[in-house]
Amino acid sequence: MSLKPLLRKILLVDLIKGLKVTFHYQPPSEAITEQYPLERPVIYERFRGQPRLNSNPDTGESLCIVCNLCALACPEQLIVVKGERNPATKRKEVVTWTYDLSRCMFCGLCAEACSTDALELTQDYEMALYSREGMILDQAALERGQEPTRYAK
Amino acid sequence: MLESIRGYLSTDITPGSAGSMFWATIYILLITIGVSLAVICMNWLERKILAHMQIRLGPMRVGPHGLLQPFADALKLLIKEDIIPQEADKLVFWSAPVVVTMTAFTTFLVVPFGPTHAVTDMNIGILFMLGISSLGVLGIIMAGWSSNSHYPLMGSLRSSAQMVSYEIAMGLAIVSAVLMTSLQTGTGTLSMIGIVDAQNAQQTWFIFKFFPLGFIAFAVFAIAMVAETNRAPFDLPEAESELVAGFHTEYSGFRWSLFFLAEYAAMLAVSSIAVTLWLGGWMRPFPNLLGGPTWDLAFSFVPALTFFVLGAMCLLGTVRMPKIPQFRVQTIGLGTFGALLGFIGLVLLIPAVRDRVQDIYWFVAKVAFFMYLYIWYRGTFPRYRFDQLMKVGWKVLLPIGLGVLIATAVWGLLPQLSSAILGVSQ
Amino acid sequence: MKEFETDYRHAKPGQGGPGVVDYLDLDTKDQTFLDSTELVLNMGPQHPSTHGVLRVILKLDGEKVLGTECVIGYLHRGVEKIGENRTYTMFNPYVDRMDYVAAVSNGLGYCEAVEKLLSVEAPPRAQYIRVVLTELCRIASHQVWLGTHALDIGAITPLFYCFRDREEILRIFEKYCGARLTTHAFRIGGCLYETYDGFEQDCKTFCDFFLPKLDEYEELLTTNRIWVKRTKGVGILNPEDCIALGVTGPVLRASGLKWDLRKAQPYESYKNFDFEIPTGLNGDTYDRYLVRIEEMRQAVRIIRQAVDGLPQGPIMAKVPKVIKPPVGEVYHSIEAPKGELGYFIVSDGSTQPYRMRVRPPSFVNLQALDKMVRGLLVADVVAVIGTLDIVLGEVDR
Repeated sequence: MSLKPLLRKILLVDLIKGLKVTFHYQPPSEAITEQYPLERPVIYERFRGQPRLNSNPDTGESLCIVCNLCALACPEQLIVVKGERNPATKRKEVVTWTYDLSRCMFCGLCAEACSTDALELTQDYEMALYSREGMILDQAALERGQEPTRYAK
Repeated sequence: MLESIRGYLSTDITPGSAGSMFWATIYILLITIGVSLAVICMNWLERKILAHMQIRLGPMRVGPHGLLQPFADALKLLIKEDIIPQEADKLVFWSAPVVVTMTAFTTFLVVPFGPTHAVTDMNIGILFMLGISSLGVLGIIMAGWSSNSHYPLMGSLRSSAQMVSYEIAMGLAIVSAVLMTSLQTGTGTLSMIGIVDAQNAQQTWFIFKFFPLGFIAFAVFAIAMVAETNRAPFDLPEAESELVAGFHTEYSGFRWSLFFLAEYAAMLAVSSIAVTLWLGGWMRPFPNLLGGPTWDLAFSFVPALTFFVLGAMCLLGTVRMPKIPQFRVQTIGLGTFGALLGFIGLVLLIPAVRDRVQDIYWFVAKVAFFMYLYIWYRGTFPRYRFDQLMKVGWKVLLPIGLGVLIATAVWGLLPQLSSAILGVSQ
Repeated sequence: MKEFETDYRHAKPGQGGPGVVDYLDLDTKDQTFLDSTELVLNMGPQHPSTHGVLRVILKLDGEKVLGTECVIGYLHRGVEKIGENRTYTMFNPYVDRMDYVAAVSNGLGYCEAVEKLLSVEAPPRAQYIRVVLTELCRIASHQVWLGTHALDIGAITPLFYCFRDREEILRIFEKYCGARLTTHAFRIGGCLYETYDGFEQDCKTFCDFFLPKLDEYEELLTTNRIWVKRTKGVGILNPEDCIALGVTGPVLRASGLKWDLRKAQPYESYKNFDFEIPTGLNGDTYDRYLVRIEEMRQAVRIIRQAVDGLPQGPIMAKVPKVIKPPVGEVYHSIEAPKGELGYFIVSDGSTQPYRMRVRPPSFVNLQALDKMVRGLLVADVVAVIGTLDIVLGEVDR
């Protein structure tokens, strides 16, 4: 073996190079941990999280026109929408609107299919509940959105 | 009786040498508490430093910055259910952790924290330490055997094979250092205090003596000691828990914590050997190059300075704590801890304390440096496979150790040899 | 059901019937004269190093491995059966869940296969966007591989460094399509989402950030004597065996064969980009490591070229709302990070496929495990499983 590789082998150069790399990352400023309940992550706009039924901001009534496209688009068939035609406005209004969050895979096909921007997947992700029954959201829960308990005010 | 107690205080030898049972017991208690405290510190330091090397934070919740984590771990281990395998050999199962822990702690009988700060100064000090740490291997085999399970047995046999092989390399390196103690006086010594005194008399640390021989011997010992204590990169027996489980698989709760305690105490013990033999024990850095009373004074402020720096870091952490009510207790705790460290620093400024603490401080600082190296190695290196591990021990370290031993002997005897060869009478 | 009457797990050798492997009857020609008791050892489904729920039954002679058998199926979710009961658009989110580490490439393969069935082609802009995301996904998948492989061999820090880089990539995915892991990024006919403002800048920043990190990982591992000792000469697979077993991907390339579907059967817009195919010499674990590291570098090269040359135009081809492909079958494969990922779709003219068969690279590569570990020590089995880069979601579907 020629001199330089031999010297490198004896003087453990490769091991020392490795030690330098780990030494370099020691200062706490290099740590990338987000201490979760204290520091919440930045969620971007297109994030597919908790679903929400939007209402018209002026009148307060639901934007859903019961076209049933979301229920047809869902791969898991977990949306059940029942509506009846309101004879006065000649538009369908929601009677019951059910979304089973426990089987949802947040693919976004329902929000894509919605024709009126009523159904939207928001940026909320804290959806833990204590019971399975609570995962089946009705219209009121969907319009309200989430209210997780805040750890740090 | 009171005379014998007070009588010892006027002497300047170790209590064991003076025959004072009372003070020897005091020293033993202090060392036991000290080693246990050191293990607790090591636990926290290892988790934090390893975490920072892995760009994460480590424990942060249990106490401010995880400072109470070791206590939480100890409490958890103490209150865990004591599980003994049904077919296990109960007596051996019970006594294996005891054997390992006792041997690890017994080695500290001869470790010198200062010229008189040791429990006793046996004239075979280093041999005693090596012998007692070899007894620890017996404890490991007992643990593997009594678990009555295939995999702990194989793991313990592997672990003990590894430890025994690397003890040979360690022994050879130690003999090289011991040889160097005889250079000035003509008689060598195995006593730990004697070895540091020899370094003092010869005015160099043995790591720099006969450069590069002292350094190579030190390197051989440094690698062998990592393998001796089953730490990365030689931790296959304990980390390869997939197939051949480590010898302590069947141990849970307090029994496991005894193994853990013994492992860290053994790490401290072999680091103490390295520090005593090559790094000048309790001597401060550069005693001759930067000698004289002013430098002595300057170096004597370093212990207090260390505590001030640590206290300042705590206070910085306190200031940076999140300012919400849930964190109030932690903030107060961290601030108090920082204040306590600062107070200890202030106490260390008192001249009487300063002089007494010097030796202990430098010894502990050097051992702490070795502990940091242990953690650094764990974070950086992959593991050796078992056959490669044994190859390194027998085919690399053993020949190098022998070579260094012979070379040191030749170099040390060079004046006599050359005069004998050249026929010049001494 | 008559054919399942004999529980093959307890069958005597020869009793199982056709197609049943008698795992206790492995090849024992390698025994020495000093015949120590052979040990049948179970690296069980729950295991820190099997990258998922994989059961490996090892037949050992002391420390040497005489033979292995893999028992899979612990993660079987019936994805192919689900495919027969969903429309083509609806099945798109399900394919992400197979190779969950590199979800984007699964989606790419599926969308391309259906587009081939429909005889449409995605517009150029969509193709470039797809290439950028797929190459980012390749880097993300290889980072998971690097981290976990190093962890198996004992180096515990590269895992965290790799996942830090992966975080940056997942952030780009989240900004683009709304999910980090199960991306559902592409649609049949093109892409649904237009690139967000700053997409090109983010990709370029990532490339600049990532290349020095790759040099750091090389410094930590490539010349490290312990790493070299653990990986050189371990798990050698020669090219003939590779072809015989159907192994593809970096495993094949490390054995010396220069076969990459991006160059051999170019799909998407790969023919517009200038990149190289790294190959190895010996086909051992070390070569596979080097090949994957170099692939990451080439992926950065492709991303830079694609981002610079992103054409304007539509991102979705003219595809009907309800997809009813003509009767026929198609097999289309892409170069996923783990190997050749293929989709075989049989259409009977309705909105739901008649048969949706996936050819997962990890499933086929796993069959090479037996050949690679004969004669190795037990500690090497872990290294070899790591180097094959298997994801059980793909193996079991």
